[in-house]
Amino acid sequence: MGKDEVFKKILEAVVNGDSDTLLGIIRDIIDDKDPIEIIQKGMMPGLKRIGDMFGAGDVYLPEMLMAAEAFQEALKIVEPKLIESGKKIEKTGVVVFGTVQTDIHEIGKNIVITLMKTHGFEIHDLGANVLPTAFVDSAEAVNADIIAMSSLMTTTMTYQKDVIDYLKQKGLRDKYIVLVGGGPVNTEWAQRIGADGTSDSAVGAVEIAKRLIASKKGGK
Amino acid sequence: MVNFIDVLDRAATGPMMTQKDFDIKVFIPAMRRVIKKFDIKWNKGEVVNTDDSLADRVFEAAVDFYSEVGTYITDTQRIIKFTKREILEAVEEAPKEAYFGEGPDRCVMKGRLPDSDELAHCHVGSGTNTTEEVALRLVEAYARINKAKTISIPIINTLGHIRTAAGAPTEIFGGIRAMQYGREGCRRAGRPGLGIINHVSSCASGVSSIAASAPQFGARPSDGWLVAPFAELKTDYSSLNQTAYLSAWGANIGQEAGPILGGYAGGPEGLSIVNTAYSLHGILVMRATYHVIYPIHMTYVCSSVPDVLWATSLSTQAIARNMRVPYYSLLYAAAGAATKMYFYEALACLLMLIASGAGIEDPHPGKAKITNGCTPVDMEFTCQVGHACRGLTRKEANRTIDKIIPKYINRITNPPHGETIEECYNLDYFKPKPHFEKLYYEEVVKEIKTDFGIELYKY
Repeated sequence: MGKDEVFKKILEAVVNGDSDTLLGIIRDIIDDKDPIEIIQKGMMPGLKRIGDMFGAGDVYLPEMLMAAEAFQEALKIVEPKLIESGKKIEKTGVVVFGTVQTDIHEIGKNIVITLMKTHGFEIHDLGANVLPTAFVDSAEAVNADIIAMSSLMTTTMTYQKDVIDYLKQKGLRDKYIVLVGGGPVNTEWAQRIGADGTSDSAVGAVEIAKRLIASKKGGK
Repeated sequence: MVNFIDVLDRAATGPMMTQKDFDIKVFIPAMRRVIKKFDIKWNKGEVVNTDDSLADRVFEAAVDFYSEVGTYITDTQRIIKFTKREILEAVEEAPKEAYFGEGPDRCVMKGRLPDSDELAHCHVGSGTNTTEEVALRLVEAYARINKAKTISIPIINTLGHIRTAAGAPTEIFGGIRAMQYGREGCRRAGRPGLGIINHVSSCASGVSSIAASAPQFGARPSDGWLVAPFAELKTDYSSLNQTAYLSAWGANIGQEAGPILGGYAGGPEGLSIVNTAYSLHGILVMRATYHVIYPIHMTYVCSSVPDVLWATSLSTQAIARNMRVPYYSLLYAAAGAATKMYFYEALACLLMLIASGAGIEDPHPGKAKITNGCTPVDMEFTCQVGHACRGLTRKEANRTIDKIIPKYINRITNPPHGETIEECYNLDYFKPKPHFEKLYYEEVVKEIKTDFGIELYKY
């Protein structure tokens, strides 16, 4: 099998969420191929394609989740080789993401996270019911670009403001892009609490995140 | 039916797994399996399903699916599972009528069949963000709508300048205040016995909900309490605590769920199955006496798009034909209040529900995201449509909806923001402001008659 054909098969296996096929191919080639190439020419384009298909409404969360799962499984094989080689994959940005304190709804967060992964973001998923201090501490620990908060309930969205208040108190507000989202969240609320952006949809959230990251990096 | 105490025992002893494994290894594969096994396919040629056998297959698929998947309890990381026999026994024994309210305002909500001549249950109101300044008058305005059989009351999430917070004492006070406004608003409208069936939407946590439900604040067991799961088919002890309290009190419990098209269930086929499975979860786990589903589209965050309408019509029919439980649906419009687009979206949603056998609630404008974004005119419109379209068949609904959808679908990604209640409605006189009155009566009502042959009467 030629290089291009191998990468095409990797791409297809990621798109299909077919972990068995993907891991089989990766194991066959891992000792002969550049790990960066495996990721950048096979795996990432597969993830990007499924993300694009999701954005176009051609597939839904299950397909995207299965693709992301297959990608993660394959990464476990490729990553040690990548570390050995001393090379790094370029990330779109680093995000800490969670559902705010007292809120246990995760589906919205999980949809956005999965789509963000397909666009090359490194995601640190803090789960649900996340304390304001935990958002900030985690962002500091992983040197994040973005703090993203989800909230489904009108009485839990209050805690999105607490995270921003804590950032201000620590003098860190300008260090991070803060995105908010969830059922009752709208632009008016985002502006009122001093967030940098919000969107109704996962596709919109990723677009805003990419735009703000580009602007942040451009400004550095 | 399996006893509730036994359900709680299963919550504490059922199979254990992580939430992620439940989503990826249990829920998604089971959904894919039943879609294939029962040959559930989205018929893009119609918005309202007209195939009875497909509706029955969706019900069978939901039973098969729910018997495999069950309900995940996040506190114990365990799954409550039921056999097919237990599920079907519960369907047989589930309440087929729910009684709400007291005295002359008392009413019954019953299951209906598709294409039925029976009047759809007209439920109005809005469990959405509302400021204290308008909440009481707003409830009074809802309760003044004489064709409304039951109402929902607003969410209060401010105490003066303080915003309430889930799990905090402020949430308890907000819940109590909403309850008091709700009951007082009904009294002022001259309908003190009216059933309020969205308790306690101001409270996210079980403890606040139970506290605000104490009778001294106005709640009655003949009201209705909505106990929500989270996506998909998951619940926690906070919700089960509410069920324990309410069932011990003998109060009406509403199984509510807002499944997402594009979420774990996938496309419209999966949405129709999970909508139906929620009613099974509702009777067994939540001990529901009534059911409300509010599915939305993941990208458009509304319900008025064809795939959500089709899936909702299909699950409504699956439930109506095979369970006959008291059931209504709350759908979301993309356009804000006091816009023509809102009324078109709402009309498509309502016609689908009426023909499919559901009760109706006013579709919420602006994706239910706008504070003070619902108006009594939306609710009057819902009742007017409910009465004007009594006996509407699915085929008739399809013919009309096919003409309505082109009027708004191109703007679904960029809908008009609309107005708030303060901008378009006079709560001192309980009537729309002149510009909104003109829009509604001189344009919307006339166009609906001219274009679709539906004559709306002011009651």
